[in-house]
Amino acid sequence: MTSPSVPVVTTGYPWPIETTRLANGLRVVVSEDRTAPVVCVNLWYDVGSRHEPAGQTGFAHLFEHLMFEGSQHVAKTEHMRLVQGNGGSLNATTNPDRTNYFETMPAEHLELALWLEADRMGGLVPALTQETLDNQREVVKNERRQRYENVPYGDAWLRLLELLYPVGHPYHHATIGSMEDLNAASLETFKAFHQQYYAPNNAVLTVAGDADPQRVFALAEKYFGLLEPVADIPPAPKGHITQAEPRRETVTAAVPASRIYISHRTHPFGTKGYDAVTVLAAVLGNGRGSRLYQRLADGKRIAQPDYIGSYGVDLAHAPAPLIITATAKDGVAVEELEAGLDEVIASLVTEPVTEDELARAKALLTTAWWRQVSTVGGRADTLSRYTTQFGEPEAAAYRLPEWLAVTADDVTEAAKLLQPESRVTLTYVPEEKA
Amino acid sequence: MTLIATRPEPGEARPYTFPDLQRVTVAGGTVIGAHLPGQLLATAMLMLDAGAARETRGREGTATVLAKSLEEGTQRRDSAAYAIALESLGAELAPSVDWDTFRVGVSAPVPQLLDAVRLAAEATRTPKLDPADVARVRDDEVTALRMDWAQPGPRADAALRADLFGAAERFGRPMHGDPASVAAVTVDDVLAFHQGWMRRPGVLLVAGDLDTLDLAALGEAAFGGSEGDPLPVEGPLDFSVRDHRRIILVDRPGSVQSTLRIGHRSPERATPDYVQMTLAATILGGAFTSRLNHLIREVKGYTYGIRGSYAMSRRFGRFEVAAGVQTAVTVPAIVDTLGEIDRTQQDGVTEDELAVARSWRAGQLSVEMQTPGSIVGALSTLVLHGLPDDYYPQLRRSYLETPLAEVSAAAGRHLHPHGLTLVVEGDAAIIRDELVAAGIGEIVDADL
Repeated sequence: MTSPSVPVVTTGYPWPIETTRLANGLRVVVSEDRTAPVVCVNLWYDVGSRHEPAGQTGFAHLFEHLMFEGSQHVAKTEHMRLVQGNGGSLNATTNPDRTNYFETMPAEHLELALWLEADRMGGLVPALTQETLDNQREVVKNERRQRYENVPYGDAWLRLLELLYPVGHPYHHATIGSMEDLNAASLETFKAFHQQYYAPNNAVLTVAGDADPQRVFALAEKYFGLLEPVADIPPAPKGHITQAEPRRETVTAAVPASRIYISHRTHPFGTKGYDAVTVLAAVLGNGRGSRLYQRLADGKRIAQPDYIGSYGVDLAHAPAPLIITATAKDGVAVEELEAGLDEVIASLVTEPVTEDELARAKALLTTAWWRQVSTVGGRADTLSRYTTQFGEPEAAAYRLPEWLAVTADDVTEAAKLLQPESRVTLTYVPEEKA
Repeated sequence: MTLIATRPEPGEARPYTFPDLQRVTVAGGTVIGAHLPGQLLATAMLMLDAGAARETRGREGTATVLAKSLEEGTQRRDSAAYAIALESLGAELAPSVDWDTFRVGVSAPVPQLLDAVRLAAEATRTPKLDPADVARVRDDEVTALRMDWAQPGPRADAALRADLFGAAERFGRPMHGDPASVAAVTVDDVLAFHQGWMRRPGVLLVAGDLDTLDLAALGEAAFGGSEGDPLPVEGPLDFSVRDHRRIILVDRPGSVQSTLRIGHRSPERATPDYVQMTLAATILGGAFTSRLNHLIREVKGYTYGIRGSYAMSRRFGRFEVAAGVQTAVTVPAIVDTLGEIDRTQQDGVTEDELAVARSWRAGQLSVEMQTPGSIVGALSTLVLHGLPDDYYPQLRRSYLETPLAEVSAAAGRHLHPHGLTLVVEGDAAIIRDELVAAGIGEIVDADL
């Protein structure tokens, strides 16, 4: 067997990219690939839960649901029926930064997908009814129950955000929102929300796959070209992070074992500093060869092997969180587990990462990157992201080379962010052990 | 008017194709490769006839403990060295167990795939299986199952399975075992399972750029040192569906949702009604616009989502509806669900609904088969069920052309609304009385 070495990669995006901008400000990106007869249409709207004022948490996400409930020329339930009924897969997601909508279709239905997206960008408000709002409010409340309230540790992310970002910071509240705010949501608010943010000059349209760029540009002009831009779209509130003191919360709940989440604010996604954090997270907690696994799951054997790891959450508009988590094995005290985590985290500074550790992390990140762009859907979403957040889709090509350029010194420098003085520690303890 | 009112017509469709397949017989085994020109990643999967069905009664979970023990070191290197060697290729081992097979998969950039397969084979064929390591992995798996079983779902799944297949039968026990059966697994059980079932060559499935990949070398890596002939395939299980409903209540105090698992037995994967049943189930509970999701989510707002489907393995099948519904509407959600199953069984499906189901299922064969991983999954279906190389184009035609009457007839034949088992996992103190009053069926408490 040959000894592994990190392959030389000069671009993370070896497909063509063509762009244009319509007169109304809509940015259009096309990445042609004729390999399979499928095409993905993806839209990023530059609005997420970070834009929500107090009392309106969860509104961006509830709004995303309303976008599937019909628009000016698309009857209620017809959007889903037309996409799936023509062979497509579709979904949408909302996070603190943005809202995205996407459908991958057999290529002959490209024009249908563009028509559907244009109709809900420009014609949602006339179709929005109180009945639809009331129904989707209940659906979202069930989503909150199913994903956050009814599962052990399900509210960890909600609690971490509140510990990491101060009151008033746009990342302080979770995207799913509170039940109280969801109950109070009024139809007028959502109509205003659409008119404010769902504008061509606040969106990026990407088409990836079996499509000709010039034809896509012409179709974009045909379907989106007459939509009016919106002037003076308000930016999200500014967030200030002043506190540097450690924060700690212990939750006694119906959980099957003690679990610790340690989190730090790092750098915004897309910066050189965050690239180093990404590599650090892989060295520390990705895979069985990672330091956490080797030292706490194997090694000391105090952490459950299936529930240990670390990862960054790729948020771009403020220092993004790094999350490190471990779950205690039977009979292991939570204090012992926390001491073990402290020790492994501190080791990133006191025992600089080796070239082998770095190579392992970069190899895993390389595979993860190629997996992400192995579908037209993954590619379209990546290009929409880089256009929205960094102004040019071509920037997508730099991420993988930037990861591969991270040095051991860069990781050590990033590890200095993980000081106990600014640490957030969230611990779950089973009820009967409390 | 700024919007175009008229919905556009589709363009001309390119003909559907499944990747070209190549076969190589080497070192006593068969490699099947699917050509994906230009793909930067490749996936390989060694598929062995060593599924959970081969486990000893009372020791369910043996194969899963073995799967998790494979990376605890090999006869050549310890677990740390193994992990670092494999992950430095950008690969991670994905061993998995289902009813019919034991699968060991790896994905890596194309130039690294051969070394990754060599390492996967090293772990599969010559694991160290040190008794202390196996015992520790077993204990960790018991803990992991307890973690999993603390979530809503696994207990309900187990209750349904036991009721449909019999608690004393292997197929009536959870595929990966339960905390008690895994705790009973011994080191010798694991060693015997490896010795008994993991030494035959099996089949290696590869998806990637075959202009670069060497299928013979991959096969030699996967099959080296293996021996033995393929095992005979056992026939499907006989079954009948009960003539009355039964509700099984699984108590989960404080639960804000009730987890529903509603089902009955159905034919195995080889049934001639496979396409008809799949289309009928798509209309009832598969697509977003399905009857169940439309009524229970989009009209009533009782759930975040509800799905109904047939799952079919080599020896058996089952129909199942799964959902989480708000506690307060548990009974109305069940009543509505039964109503839609009943209506579909009685009256069949409509042309409009069938048109959506046809196109969706046919389109998914392109849309959801873009990656090496998904193509390897498709190849595994061909091998497991003895299907021809041109199966997917045939399947696509069947989805598009099967007559409405056949789909409705299949719904009539393979749905049994009055023989359903309804498992309700939720806060029994709140929902029991209302369930009794609804008179849906006899109620028993789960024995879990």
